[in-house]
Amino acid sequence: MKSKSSFREALTYIFLFILALAFLAPIAIIIMNSVKGNFYISQSPFSIPNYETFVGAENFIKGFKQSDFMKSFFNSAFITFFSVAGIVLMTSMTAWFIVRVKNKLTKLLYYLFVFSMIVPFQMVMYTMTYYAFELNLNNRIGIIFIYLGFGAGLSVFMFSGFIKSIPTEIEEAATIDGCSPVKTFFLIVFPILKPTAITVAILNAMWIWNDYLLPYLVLGSGEGKTLPVAVQMALTGGYGNKDMGALMAMLVLAILPIIIFYLFCQKYIIRGVAAGAVKG
Amino acid sequence: MATIKFNDVTKAFDNGKITVIPGLSLEIKDKEFVVLVGPSGCGKSTTLRMIAGLEDITSGELFIDDKKVNNIPPKDRDIAMVFQSYALYPHMSVYKNMAFALKLKKMPKTEIDEKVRWAAKILDIEPYLDRKPRALSGGQRQRVALGRAMVRNPKVFLLDEPLSNLDAKLRTEMRSQITMLHKRLETTFVYVTHDQTEAMTMADRIVVMDKGVIQQFDTPQKLYSEPANMFVAGFIGSPQMNFIDAAVVEEKGALKARFCGFSVNIPKDKAKYMKEYIGKDIVIGIRPEHIFSAGEAEVKNKAPITVSVEIAEMTGSETNVYFELGGKRHIARIKAEERINQGDLLKLYIDENEIRYFDKETTLAI
Repeated sequence: MKSKSSFREALTYIFLFILALAFLAPIAIIIMNSVKGNFYISQSPFSIPNYETFVGAENFIKGFKQSDFMKSFFNSAFITFFSVAGIVLMTSMTAWFIVRVKNKLTKLLYYLFVFSMIVPFQMVMYTMTYYAFELNLNNRIGIIFIYLGFGAGLSVFMFSGFIKSIPTEIEEAATIDGCSPVKTFFLIVFPILKPTAITVAILNAMWIWNDYLLPYLVLGSGEGKTLPVAVQMALTGGYGNKDMGALMAMLVLAILPIIIFYLFCQKYIIRGVAAGAVKG
Repeated sequence: MATIKFNDVTKAFDNGKITVIPGLSLEIKDKEFVVLVGPSGCGKSTTLRMIAGLEDITSGELFIDDKKVNNIPPKDRDIAMVFQSYALYPHMSVYKNMAFALKLKKMPKTEIDEKVRWAAKILDIEPYLDRKPRALSGGQRQRVALGRAMVRNPKVFLLDEPLSNLDAKLRTEMRSQITMLHKRLETTFVYVTHDQTEAMTMADRIVVMDKGVIQQFDTPQKLYSEPANMFVAGFIGSPQMNFIDAAVVEEKGALKARFCGFSVNIPKDKAKYMKEYIGKDIVIGIRPEHIFSAGEAEVKNKAPITVSVEIAEMTGSETNVYFELGGKRHIARIKAEERINQGDLLKLYIDENEIRYFDKETTLAI
């Protein structure tokens, strides 16, 4: 009996190990090739860099020089930071209102937010782009509002689920202690929402940072282009003469901030921060 | 001074579709410990929440200290509330939980510190001031909730079933602690519970509620000995009072209550009220502790009944004997020297002086 279950466990581990390798392999290949010469990248893309193929930081320097890396990095950072901050702040407040104020309007609002999650972006992208231009939202600040709209569905859904588990007595205690609704939200509810807020922030930051289609449609490939668009431009820049080394280096630099952000936030995701507030 | 006065207060939900409190008039004296007691859904918590300002009043007037508070927000009512679920702020330490309200009032830090440490000392939670609520036991959390209320030095303490989540031993301990706290703070306490033992042991006066209506508002002793109606008689006392259908008859100039082939003499002081019930059906109420076994100390004016034992529960010094009479199960709490078994025929004695009489139609005490 015991050997059967340990065999099954071993199989599960092998499967998970293979799966992890499959997911990590592309990243590993990019990192390896970012420090290899162009010739060796096309000749042996899967080989580990050695004294012959290793070119140091050369590809990174070229990547910086060849494209508007810093400019597009700043654009991506600006858009991601303010979009995520806006989404976390606005949707947590919205979810709190929807959960605590129970009427037909809030119910409708909730279903609209949930419904917005299942509408594919491709279905609305042309009309959205049209109105983005009509409303002058085709700039770095305007796109933040568009992200707020697209990110609201999932975020409101996630916050609502968590807020439902917060006992209303905590908010009532705050009211008796002298909090206005705004103070109750910022001093009591929002700190309790911290684990969900961080999860929402990570999900949205990853999506917005890596998003290609929306910024390409709204901001195009001009001044306001984001990092994924810039990488794409570098890739298509010279037909038949792509600088793969610089491209790999750019990709490494592009994924680095989001990985750091994830690792930094991960330690703050402490499950059950509400434990101990109520009975049990 | 902090009196609380309800003046024909009503509370309805769903745009008046559901009336929870049909019209409540009640006056709680300064420094009094009043317990609102009743079954689930009787409106006791709603009443407390109306005092707190957490529920709007549909109609009527509510006064705290002669000041109408119908439209005054909770923070300006000078009240503090302890919740059943403790409602501690999970992201704050015990110290910060207790200091929170004072901080909002912009009280100087030294004064806040003084008050928090004063309350923590009384409640014996000083070693836990830096801990988060999740690192505390149920009893400690409840004491923090009490401390949070204490530091505000409120006019009125509101406690909504604060001991419900504690185990039996801790509940008894906290019960005495809250009673001592009331004596120490000399503030008006309004306490909600569904546990009649809690109500009886802690209250100066008890409000017994049912379906939003006050059934009786009196001292614990009066509720026990002179219940206003069958609801109060049944609710107060554990095990609950036995109710038996009976008929009032006159025999040789004396009034008797007949039931199931037995009869009890109605004492002379009660007879004058009972005359109009001659030939009518009434309900007699007998508390289990007013039924005695043959071996127990002599009882004056005892009426014998013989019953067949259905179940006998030994609780230590006493035995709860369940028996059937008039198609209903009843209970007697007797001191039995010998073991009582199921099916035994037992001769029991009812203390005639302790029998309560109720109008069968109105359920009111006669």
